Amino acid sequence: MSKMDKTLLENAKSIIKERLCKSGYSHNVRADIDIAALDLGNLLQRTVEFGESNSVLVVGAKGSGKSTLINRVLEDIHNDSKNAKNLLIVKLNGYLQTDDRIALAEITRQLKLENTIGDKVFGSFAETLAFLLEALRSGDMSKSQPIIIILEEFDLFAQHKNQTLLYNLFDIAQAGTTPLAVIGITCRLDVMELLEKRVKSRFSHRQIYICNPSTLENYVQQFTDVLLLDKAFGKTAKHKAFVKKWNSHVENLTKNSSVLEILHKQFNYCKEASPLHQILFLPVCSLSQEHQEITPADIAESSQLIFNDSKANILHGVSVLELCLIIAMSHLTNIYEGEPFNFQMVYNEFLKFSQKKSHILQNYTKPVVLKAFEHLIELELLKTKDHFMTHSGKLQKEYRPMILLVDHSQLREAVAKYPGCPTDVKQWAESSIV
Amino acid sequence: PKNRKPFIPQRKTPLRASSNVFDQARERLHVSATPDSLPCREEEFQSIYSFVEGKILSGTGGCMYISGVPGTGKTATVMEVLSNLRSCVDDGNLEVFKYVEINGMRLTEPHQAYVQILKQLKDMKATPEHASQLLTKHFDQRGKKTTVLLVDELDLLWTKKQDVMYHIFDWPSHRHARLVVVAIANTMDLPERIMMNRVSSRLGLTRLSFLPYNFRQLQAIVSSRLSGLDAFDSDAIQLVSRKVAAVSGDARRCLDICRRAVEIAAREKRKNKNIQTVGIEHVHEALQEMFASPMVMFIRNCSTQEKLFLRATVSEFRRSGLEEATVGQILQHHVTLAKLDNLPPATVTSLIKVCNQLAASHVLLMEMGRHDLYARVRLNVSIDDVLFALNADS
Repeated sequence: MSKMDKTLLENAKSIIKERLCKSGYSHNVRADIDIAALDLGNLLQRTVEFGESNSVLVVGAKGSGKSTLINRVLEDIHNDSKNAKNLLIVKLNGYLQTDDRIALAEITRQLKLENTIGDKVFGSFAETLAFLLEALRSGDMSKSQPIIIILEEFDLFAQHKNQTLLYNLFDIAQAGTTPLAVIGITCRLDVMELLEKRVKSRFSHRQIYICNPSTLENYVQQFTDVLLLDKAFGKTAKHKAFVKKWNSHVENLTKNSSVLEILHKQFNYCKEASPLHQILFLPVCSLSQEHQEITPADIAESSQLIFNDSKANILHGVSVLELCLIIAMSHLTNIYEGEPFNFQMVYNEFLKFSQKKSHILQNYTKPVVLKAFEHLIELELLKTKDHFMTHSGKLQKEYRPMILLVDHSQLREAVAKYPGCPTDVKQWAESSIV
Repeated sequence: PKNRKPFIPQRKTPLRASSNVFDQARERLHVSATPDSLPCREEEFQSIYSFVEGKILSGTGGCMYISGVPGTGKTATVMEVLSNLRSCVDDGNLEVFKYVEINGMRLTEPHQAYVQILKQLKDMKATPEHASQLLTKHFDQRGKKTTVLLVDELDLLWTKKQDVMYHIFDWPSHRHARLVVVAIANTMDLPERIMMNRVSSRLGLTRLSFLPYNFRQLQAIVSSRLSGLDAFDSDAIQLVSRKVAAVSGDARRCLDICRRAVEIAAREKRKNKNIQTVGIEHVHEALQEMFASPMVMFIRNCSTQEKLFLRATVSEFRRSGLEEATVGQILQHHVTLAKLDNLPPATVTSLIKVCNQLAASHVLLMEMGRHDLYARVRLNVSIDDVLFALNADS
């Protein structure tokens, strides 16, 4: 293996890793949201070219490419040299700008208005609002620079006090002063119900829904697209040879039946691309000199990690005593039909088992069992029942009502896979008769 | 830079002029393009005009309360009254008056109203407490011009002690104040509902309510904006007006839908040159877009397991007869239904993930916190909608 090949592989790796990790990366745009992109692009273009103010909401499930769509539309506007000079873009995020005070300071900072010096914004909250409104209201539809305001996590902005920020932004978009495009991005389908009546009236009610009507073929195509290298990779003969080899390998990979089966399973759970990227990330990272290609086994392994049951995994790590306690609790939950239990009940159930049937679990004192019980609480495999939560401090811990957070199927699987599980414990798990 | 006016930078390249009929129609239909005289609000205009003019002429003060649902032309009518009064002043038929405007929504908190009024009245800056003292002093002085104060979104000036509202309605009753207050809010019974007696009695009984537009008025509004422009079928305008009047009677909504219809027509025109005007089919599409519920479409595009989870939720609700269930209960139904459909068995973790995906879009409402299997789940859509969406594709 020559040294050249090594750098080639590293390059390919970093390109694919970038595609997988960078959220909002315009390479990841789905083919079927072209219509939405066209609509939004037209809208923004009219704001930039004609000075028309608009407001729009982009709604779609998590991971459906809302931010990616907007990034691509903005990229298109930026590439248009005439429009790019005229544009001011303000980006806000509901998780960062948690109240109107911070959001307003951020807007004036991003617009570089007079009350900012460097990165600092001066003046009180009320002054900043008055200042910003005066600036925006004194603008002129035909002379001022158009502004595009992007509000990510729009539903969080709707939870601000009085929705002052949204009211003012929508109001200015309807006042015909500074050309303003307000774009909200959210994953909540019922976002309109969050808006106050006067805010709702000022919003243009234009919503772009991003649904995912894709088929399994599209999904597989997305998988291939992420992995395939293109001409931009390099122009020398060696590059070309590498690309050709890599791409033919990727084609083979997507024709493999076990890979297709994994993709189908993943597709049944979630149509969005992000889990797909998760599955691919581990195999791509483990590419190396010794391991130059992604094999179906790699993909099976990483998808196994994603589909693992986390509770069953925790159960593999508990001690035999703790496992016995969980079995006892599971029996109690079954017998009393979901009623809460306390430590004493569990202990009694455990004693019945250990004294009558078991030959190895006889000599645990009560404090040891209680300790094991507390460890399970810490692992959040059981918890205090809600409405007793407030009194839980007053109740003695042996008598606190608890509920089990392990499903019966999880327990059965865990017992079956538990390394070195005693036979009598296994039998006890199967039937509650002691 | 204390007295410098804030501004947005000038644009580098000139605005593109609108060339075709559709562009012009869109420009005229924009909510910001308020006409010089509002159609269908002549009576209200007259009563506000005569009230304010009378007070200015007689040199006394008074209050007027205007109510109405959003988008019925309240603020626009008052603005029109003021611009007419101003032209009267220019003609010399009326004494010069000062105009001050505050909007409850543009204030960070109610007491900032004093600061804003003082700033517009005297161009001074002060803290809220100081400003209130200065204003009281100002309105007690003799020999000054009449002031017209417009208070928009009045309900937001509510405080526990109601001192801001009290002051605003009390000033006009001062002997030398010569203050005319025009207050605007949405609800008709606001004075009775949230104000103390001494505040609502000062507000007085001069009230005016703006009714929602009916369909003829909406039709007239759209037609007047489009007069001289052959862009819309008259039937199309009628359809929009009837639909909007049936829901809210909000003129903003009506104009927005028309504007969207123009966009759709322009898009169609690129494909088919024959389209000259916005027809009923374009308006219909725009109405569908703006009134349609996204939930059904969303459920239809869900993944197999998500659909199965919704089905399981519905069947658990049917079993128990309640509208709420825990995740654990639904999971049991899910497992059974998955077996019925011959799907590979799913782990609890991945099913909770599916539930979370649905809860993030708020199709399901899920209890927050770390309740795991015991988190309670509700549907945010009606069961009929869910079944309709699920059965449509099977």
